[in-house]
Parts: sequence; C-alpha cells; structure tokens
Amino acid sequence: MKQGRRVQKKEKTNQAILKAALELFAAKGFYATTTKAISRKARIAEGTLFNYFETKEDLALFFLEEELSGVMEWYRANKGLKEADIAEKLFAIIQHLLERLEPYEEFIGAVYMRALSPASKLSPFSFESQDRHLRYLRFIREILLQAEADGEIPALGDFGAYAFGLFQLAILTHWLRDQSRGKEQTLALLDRCLKMATHFLRNGGWNW
Amino acid sequence: MELVKSSQKSSALQRGFRIGKLGFGLVGSYLGYQAQNLLLSESGKAQRRAQFQRKASQRVTGELGALKGAFMKVGQLLSMQSRVFPEETLRELAALQMHAPGMHATMARAQFKASMGKFPEDVFRHFDPEPFAAASLGQVHRAVTRKGEKVAVKIQYPAIRSAIENDFKVVRSATFAGQLTGHLPTAAIDEVQRGIMEETDYVNEAKNLKYFREQFEDIEWVTVPRVYEEFSCDRTLTMSFVEGRTLAGFLETKPSQRVRDLVAERLFELFEIQTCYLKALHADPHPGNYLFRPDGSIGMIDFGCVKRFDVDWRELRCFYEEWGWRESEAAERRFLKIICGPKAPYEKARKILPDVEEWLELFHPRGSGDVFFGRKMEPALKKRMEAAWTRGARRIFQNKWINPEYAFLSRADMGLWYLLEQLGAVVNISEIARRVEAGRKTSKAIAS
Repeated sequence: MKQGRRVQKKEKTNQAILKAALELFAAKGFYATTTKAISRKARIAEGTLFNYFETKEDLALFFLEEELSGVMEWYRANKGLKEADIAEKLFAIIQHLLERLEPYEEFIGAVYMRALSPASKLSPFSFESQDRHLRYLRFIREILLQAEADGEIPALGDFGAYAFGLFQLAILTHWLRDQSRGKEQTLALLDRCLKMATHFLRNGGWNW
Repeated sequence: MELVKSSQKSSALQRGFRIGKLGFGLVGSYLGYQAQNLLLSESGKAQRRAQFQRKASQRVTGELGALKGAFMKVGQLLSMQSRVFPEETLRELAALQMHAPGMHATMARAQFKASMGKFPEDVFRHFDPEPFAAASLGQVHRAVTRKGEKVAVKIQYPAIRSAIENDFKVVRSATFAGQLTGHLPTAAIDEVQRGIMEETDYVNEAKNLKYFREQFEDIEWVTVPRVYEEFSCDRTLTMSFVEGRTLAGFLETKPSQRVRDLVAERLFELFEIQTCYLKALHADPHPGNYLFRPDGSIGMIDFGCVKRFDVDWRELRCFYEEWGWRESEAAERRFLKIICGPKAPYEKARKILPDVEEWLELFHPRGSGDVFFGRKMEPALKKRMEAAWTRGARRIFQNKWINPEYAFLSRADMGLWYLLEQLGAVVNISEIARRVEAGRKTSKAIAS
C-alpha cells in the first residue's frame, strides 16, 4: 500500500515537473530554459529535479513517451476507427499525434534538432529511446497484422512497422516546416502518401 | 521552407507523371484489347469493346477524381460532349459530378479543424462523418446546427490551391506549342486559372449565393441555399440543406412527361433570366449543379464559379431568330463582332455566314414560328446540321477569332441543351423567352 502511494506521488511529481517545463519551453524556448527555472516553477528543489530527470533531454524523452502512450490509448478507445480501412487508421494515428504536439511545436522543433545528434539520448537509435520505440512499433505492428488478416495488405512482417516509424518521422519533419494555414499541406501529404502506399501494397505496384 | 518548396516541386512532377501515365495506361490496355480482338468472334468483340470502354472510363474517372482540381474540371467538361464519347464512358464521367474519391471521415474532420479552428462536433449538434456529395474541390457533409437547422457543410480538400497551381504548371508546359502558335492564348489559360482559383475561395462563393438568393427570391419554384456565415470561411462553407435528386436520380424515379417538360421549361427560364437580364451565370449548366424534386421545383447548388459577362445574349438570339445579319452591312458587322470578337477582319469573318445559315436552315427554318426544343429530327438532317456547325466552329478556331465571352456562353448553352436532352423534354423556348421578358417588364413597373 505504502509502495503504491509512493508510486502515485512519484507520478504526480513527474507530471508537475513536465507541466512546469512545458510552460517554460513554450514561453522561453527549450534552450533558454534552465533546470533551475523548471524546479522553481514546479516548486521543488533543484536537487529533487535531478532525482527525476537528469537532463532536459530526459524530460523531453518523458514527454514523448507520454504523448505516444496517449496516442495508443486514444486509438484503442476510439471505436469509430474499427471499421476504417488501414490508410485511414494510420492517418488517424499520425494526425492525432500531431494534434497533441501542436501546442508544443517550438519545443518539438528543438527536440528534433537534438535528436539528429547520434550522441543524444533523444536519437531514435539511442539506448534510452529503444524501449519507447519498441512499444510503439509493436502497437503499429498489431494494427498492420490485423490489416493483413483482413486481407487489406499482404504480409509485411516487421518491415511494415519500421517503415511506418520512418514515415512518421518524415511527416513530423514536414509538419515542423509546414507554413500553410492549419498545416493543411501536411494533411494532404499524409493522405496522398498513405493512399499511394496502400495502393502499391495491394496491387504490388502500379496496376495498369 | 526549403523542404516545403521541394515537396511542392515533386508534387507537380508527380501529377505530370500521373497524367502522362494515364494516357500511356489507356494506350497500353487498348493495344491489349486489340490483340485479344483478333482472337475473338464477332459477338465476343462487341462484349469486349463494351468491357474495355467501361474499364478505360473507370480508370479516367478514378485518376481525375484522385487528382482533383483542374483536371477534374476537364473531366466534367468532357462529360458534357454527348456526341464525342460513347455512352459507357459518359456514364462513368457523369459520376464525377457528384461522386469523386474524397476525404475519409478522419481527414474531413481534421481539415474542418484546420480551416475553422474547431472540430465539427464542437460546432454542430450533429455532423455526418460520411459525405453525401463530392464537389470538384472538396466534399459536402450533412450536419444539424445547435438550433436544429439542417445544413450542408462543404469542406475543401487540403492544400487544393497549391495543387491547382501545380496542375496549371503542367498544363502550361504541355500546351506550350499551342501558346506559341497562338491557338491557345496564354490569356485564355490565365482566365481559366483565375476562374478555378476563384472557385477555391468559399468567401467568394458565399457572396455569389447571397446575390442569386436575392435575385430569385420571387420565384417560388427555385431554391438557392442560405449561407451560415458563423460556420463558414474561405475553405469551409455551411449552407442551408437543399432537398432534391441529381438528374440521374430524378430520371430513375421515372417522372411523367409533364413533369419533365415543366423542369426543362424552368431550367430554360433560369438560363434566360441569367443570360439576358442578370448577365451572370451561377455555374456551367451541368447536371451536378441542379437538384430536382418530384413537383418540378429546382434547387441550385455550387456557386463557386459564377461568371459575369457583357455579351448581349438576347440580341444574339434575335439575330438567330430573324437572320438579322441580312438586314444591313452594319447588322452583319455587329453579328460577326459578337461571334468572332472585335479582331476578326470583316471580309474574312463573313465567310462563316453560309455555314451559320445552312445550320440554321436545318435547325429552325426562317419564318417557321416558335422555336421548339426536342422536336424529332431525321438522323441524316441532324448529321448535316452538325457538320455545318463544326465547319463554322473550325473556321473560327483556325483563324484564332475567339471571343472568349461568346465561347463561354456557347459552352453554357450546350450544357443547358444537354440537360434538356437528358430530360427528353419538348419545350417552346420562344414562348418562355416572351414570358420572361413580360415578367421582367411587369416587375420593373411594380418596382418603379
């Protein structure tokens, strides 16, 4: 019972730090925000902050993990998507992720730049981000397996989920640079790519 | 920024490639069809031909629908040319008018948010995620406002403006030769592009709707939707819901000859009021722009490409009815100026008059009273009439004497006649013209 309460408290502090950090990132930017400012805003000692997150990168990792978990939960609870075809399901997943990230666009941009460095914990190839990646890729593989079982697409094995991961990264890059109103260029690109990909997979290429 | 630019570039290339591929694909399968034809019997041949035409036209519909924008407009125009394409192809192309491949529910919802800043469920009491109609630039969903009013919400396909700009880049490079020789003036392409770009602006469409609603408010058998400005912007348009069936759906209910004639009369009357008095057309009269109801009343939809013009259509009709160019040289010059534009040299332009007279003699002989649409005609005579028409049109085209407004109105006129033809109606168009004129005079007198 005690342990349960401790976990609960830890989770609460995690969330308080994240909330404070996100607010500061939005106001001052990722680079200009200091850990001192974050701890002050979260009303904890700076030393306590380091018990939870060693660096700002760890905070960013936690944030991304939260968002991806949120997407997975949202998808599982969304009954309306059960009947949708695979292109719409994958569209909905990426679009919902982008929708969640929308308020933190600048922060995501900074995280993205950091992630490009192979030494960063945020790099998709880093040891620290592996667990998060694998959980998400397994989730995507489940969806693709269902589409394979329904005869929507041919068997792709693990390749499908990996390809989707890379595709999501590419769309995120486009989204960050997208200057169109409401980021509609990204919507159109996402739609066209997914429709084309499912068309290719179904027909094994251009079906003329 | 660079990334966005390069993705637009590749998209223009991709579209060019798809259009190229479309032609290539059709040729490819046509060759296959020809090869198989050699091995088939006579009866098999006909069956294969129908199958090929259906497959080919399904491919055309799919591709044009997927590309949206400018190319879909071409698809719609093709579907009006009832004599150029076989029945099978026409049926497929007609499908473009109301049913194009569009956005799935998730996409439509996201695009509504991108344009209005809120999700549809935050704005309406009910929003149908499935569209009930496709427009060339978007799709239309049913919804109910918080006050319980039934509305139609038109949502534009994302980034359609840049998609159209890309299409025009391809069209411009593909028609470079035509532009160089002057057969396809750059100004004409500019005009088409301007018109289509205007169509992507739903604020402009809302203005048009208001104008026509005011103009037709006294006619009880026509409905023009009302705009809900609070739920509209340049990429989303919310209008009152207009009941009715598309032309094909209406004809499926097998309406009586009386109702079909009544609908045709009214379509002609609407056209007459717009061309002769308002000097503005709500849209090309293609079947997708009207909804029909069992009592013969009509709903007008899609006000995205209202065209305003200066040509006096009534004057032109009088010329045709009375062979007015024969009255004097001044009348002849005036007539030729309307048809061929001001740049056509008089001596050369008047060579089209024999073609016009031959066509007219067959269509509506001089002094034969009122003009009836839908009268039965001998196939041989019809063929001669069309040949005369084509000769005249070719002479105008070859000499580059195009009066853009006349060309537009002729195309719209052809669209109307195609609609009347589909209805199988018989209409005394002279009588309607007289009635409209009398009505306009009466309403003017009352107003003054």
